[in-house]
Amino acid sequence: MDVLKQNIGILRDQDPILAAQILQVPGGTLSIQPAKSGMPTALVDSRYLHSAYDPVREAKRWAEERVKECQAEETLVLLGVGLLYHVQALRQMLPHDQVIMVVVPDLSEFADCVSVRALEGWGEGVIWLTGSMADMAVQVTQEAKRVRVLSYEPAATVHRETYEHFRLQLREHLAQHLSGALHIMVVGPIYGGSLPIARYVVNALEGLGHRVSWVDHSPHYAGYQNLETIRDHRLRLTVQQRMSEMLAVISLAHVAEDPPDLVLALSQAPLTMAVLEQMRRKKVLTAMWFVENFRHLTYWQQMVTGYDFWFVMQQAACLDAFRKAGAKHVSYLPLAADPAIHQPVAFTAKEGQEFGADVSFLGAGYRNRRHILPSLVGHEWTFKLWGNEWDNPGALAPVLQRGGARIDTSTSVKIFNATSVNINLHSYTGDGFDPEGDGVNPRTFELASCGAFQVVDTRTLLPALFDESMMAVINNPDQLLPTVQTYLHEPARRAAMAELSRKRVLEAHTYGHRMKTFLGAVGMASPDRLGSILQGDRHAESLVARSGQTPELIPMLKQFPQTDRVELVDVAKSIRNKGPEARLNREELLILMMDEYRQEKRDFL
Amino acid sequence: MSRALLIQLARLGDLVQSLPALTALQTAYPERPLDLLCPSPLVALGELFPCVDRVFPWNGEQWHEFATTKMTDCDQQLARATRYLADCAYPPYALAYNLNNHPRGILAAHVLSGLVVGPGEYGPLNQTLPAWAGYLRRIARDRGSNRVHLADAFCGLCQVSPPLDVPYLQAQEVSLPFELELPVNGEPSTLIGIVLGAGDADRRVPLSVWQDLIAACAEHIPQCYLLLVGGAGEREAALALEHRLPAKYLNRVVNGCGRTSLPQLVALLNRCQWVVGSDTGPLHLGAMCGARAIGWYFSQARVHETGPYGIGHYVWQRTGAKLRESLDVRDVSAAGSSSAYWPVMETVNLMQEGTVNPTTDGWDLWTSNRDEWGAFYTRDGIPDEAVLRRKDTWEALSQLANQGIRMEVSK
Repeated sequence: MDVLKQNIGILRDQDPILAAQILQVPGGTLSIQPAKSGMPTALVDSRYLHSAYDPVREAKRWAEERVKECQAEETLVLLGVGLLYHVQALRQMLPHDQVIMVVVPDLSEFADCVSVRALEGWGEGVIWLTGSMADMAVQVTQEAKRVRVLSYEPAATVHRETYEHFRLQLREHLAQHLSGALHIMVVGPIYGGSLPIARYVVNALEGLGHRVSWVDHSPHYAGYQNLETIRDHRLRLTVQQRMSEMLAVISLAHVAEDPPDLVLALSQAPLTMAVLEQMRRKKVLTAMWFVENFRHLTYWQQMVTGYDFWFVMQQAACLDAFRKAGAKHVSYLPLAADPAIHQPVAFTAKEGQEFGADVSFLGAGYRNRRHILPSLVGHEWTFKLWGNEWDNPGALAPVLQRGGARIDTSTSVKIFNATSVNINLHSYTGDGFDPEGDGVNPRTFELASCGAFQVVDTRTLLPALFDESMMAVINNPDQLLPTVQTYLHEPARRAAMAELSRKRVLEAHTYGHRMKTFLGAVGMASPDRLGSILQGDRHAESLVARSGQTPELIPMLKQFPQTDRVELVDVAKSIRNKGPEARLNREELLILMMDEYRQEKRDFL
Repeated sequence: MSRALLIQLARLGDLVQSLPALTALQTAYPERPLDLLCPSPLVALGELFPCVDRVFPWNGEQWHEFATTKMTDCDQQLARATRYLADCAYPPYALAYNLNNHPRGILAAHVLSGLVVGPGEYGPLNQTLPAWAGYLRRIARDRGSNRVHLADAFCGLCQVSPPLDVPYLQAQEVSLPFELELPVNGEPSTLIGIVLGAGDADRRVPLSVWQDLIAACAEHIPQCYLLLVGGAGEREAALALEHRLPAKYLNRVVNGCGRTSLPQLVALLNRCQWVVGSDTGPLHLGAMCGARAIGWYFSQARVHETGPYGIGHYVWQRTGAKLRESLDVRDVSAAGSSSAYWPVMETVNLMQEGTVNPTTDGWDLWTSNRDEWGAFYTRDGIPDEAVLRRKDTWEALSQLANQGIRMEVSK
């Protein structure tokens, strides 16, 4: 019987619509050739998707490696179609009841495949996902509890962007279904722009119900700053480096005392490679949210292999750079606002006088700002400049507030609220706008969250976050003055746009949203560890349901509320609560024994 | 035949100090096989104990791994631990003697046996200590004028009297590394073990002091060789010491640090006439291997509790306030510490059987003795009042022993 005909019969039993669609697509995406082994192999744009020698053996090897990672109860979602040798090999190595889903981004490619490769004997045990990426992501999350995504790179590369989109969709959908609580340790910097973000992250994670330990290094700032008294530059740098290393060890001590499921560091967090390596040895997963421009701050290159997960505020070139440098998992995670802090506020007349202005800019004195902002001085309206690092302000001297002092968060919220037109220029070390400007700064979200109107310079990633009904976007420095003048005279329009921007933040751009996305990503990349916990696998009820191997544990687990996360330490505590006269069974003794060893910290530092 | 198990999960020194209890138990119950549970790295030593039938390893690292793996839920952790325990194939035990007053020892005892003697004998969660364990805790806390040696107190914990004869460890046929074989088994000579390291930093003797002792031995004791004793952790210190020594003494020094297994170390110590060191495991091992030990006891070490067990050993005990003033951790670990504080020449004189002033510059000399209540130390050979009170201690604590358990044990 004809291979295609037979395959269509199989597919019709699984998915009649898909079978009908296959018959209608023209095909021709894959160039099919015989491999040396005689089996067909395929090329796209002269690039082989399978071995030109023996695609069956190659697929078997690929599958053997993947099977080692796979856990029972996981649903495997495969990216990469080609001629499906890899899917067949994996299907044949795994138990029948393990679900395999294949994401089919291009029906033409699939049609080429089923014209030459028989599905009989294995294809019946595969679920074919078709449709939009969002639809496929929904289907996966509806049908699977624990998901492991596997990628057969030679074939997946053909649809790289599509699959990236699918991953993002899946991550977002998985994030909506998280019910388990993690213990997350947030490590902040000593000082700087990522310090308040660390606070917002802590609030957001706690708001989502996770247990958060915050290693706050900001109390060490005074000591760090005091090192400025060392006049010799090299000596000072060396001592600062040593102090950072000590703070890294302090972070490690916190991890040792109460080991978390995950350490989330914010950029500039003083964690060294040695400390990260020790955390890896102790099986603590680590993530870094790098909330900096990767082109300006480049120390990530030395740290890139230290963290298990990287999250960055830029896309494309940034993701490529991190991957090339050796990052295992890197994902785009834009900044956000904390609406409990960045919100519309009322202020007194005195405050209005101090913080209010027709036009304001708040930020550090980068070169582009020094070059562009003087055009706003000397008009009939008021212009105020806030922020630090404005030494030698030149023409901006008359408008610089508080002598260029650093502005704290609560003051910045008042300034945003008390200003008619807030200028938001992303930092750049050149004269104009950053020609590679992509990532969106936190101020964009914070202004929007405050319900404050802003004029912002264009960024390639801005349209996906806010549209031009929410803020005035300028494409070059020459547009700044006319745009300001236009909006100064349109208060109602300003208010309407600002309101829309605030609504957008509340819908999609809070730190709560970001942390959900973040957890969805780490859960997806680590299905058997963080993923399973996030899916509630360590809830008492889930553990009871799975305690086939250790039925003795069931009465102990039933003492806990069903949706409480239960760990060894919790069971041990409940055993100890039985009191001194208790007679313990062997399993209880073993639990206590492991708990004793769990508390051992001597090899941590 | 029912079997008994003795549990000692602490370090080398404690395991060596448990040998009298094992010997006494075997003498008291000769028909009952007696096994030993000790840390995995010490199994090879336990297998040399003549009174022990089988030795089982306790793999703390494995338990730590079970407990700390982030991958597994508690049900999987329990399943793994259960499987591991089954793989260890421990025989059923009628009773377990537990010498460790910490939860791991107590829990191990209850996992492996229905009847426990020693800490935990009232139940795995019961904090009540048996009489001897309570006594040891008081001694550790209050010090006082205790004269019951730790090794004998272990016997008390096991509800047996100290052994009549001091146990002795003899190596079986074991080949030594070539560089150790020649000086040790070559020309007749005096072999002196120098125990370089110590588990705790505050019990380490400065290298400069060892340097002085080696020089003094080489100058005053004819035909002597000095065997540097220690594990891999002392390898660096041993090399540093060799580097410091004048060339003329180097052919008298045999560096055994980190180069021997425990059975090989026993073989070397069997060959030593003397062994010198602070209160450490290898010093006690040397004493049990037949060498005469000279201990330098300072910091927390106390001759009456942990002096080398047996007869013919000496301990220089640091005395009074000077201990803290001149021998704190900084002082002791400093490479340049003055040997003026250490009884170097007095130790050499002892090895030459010469006259020694028993009280010298902050150090008191104590000599080991033994009677039916175990080991004790005297300054001038005459037991003092505290030594004589050991009989009362034994009788009082024996009366306080858990009678129910005593009856069970005697079955």
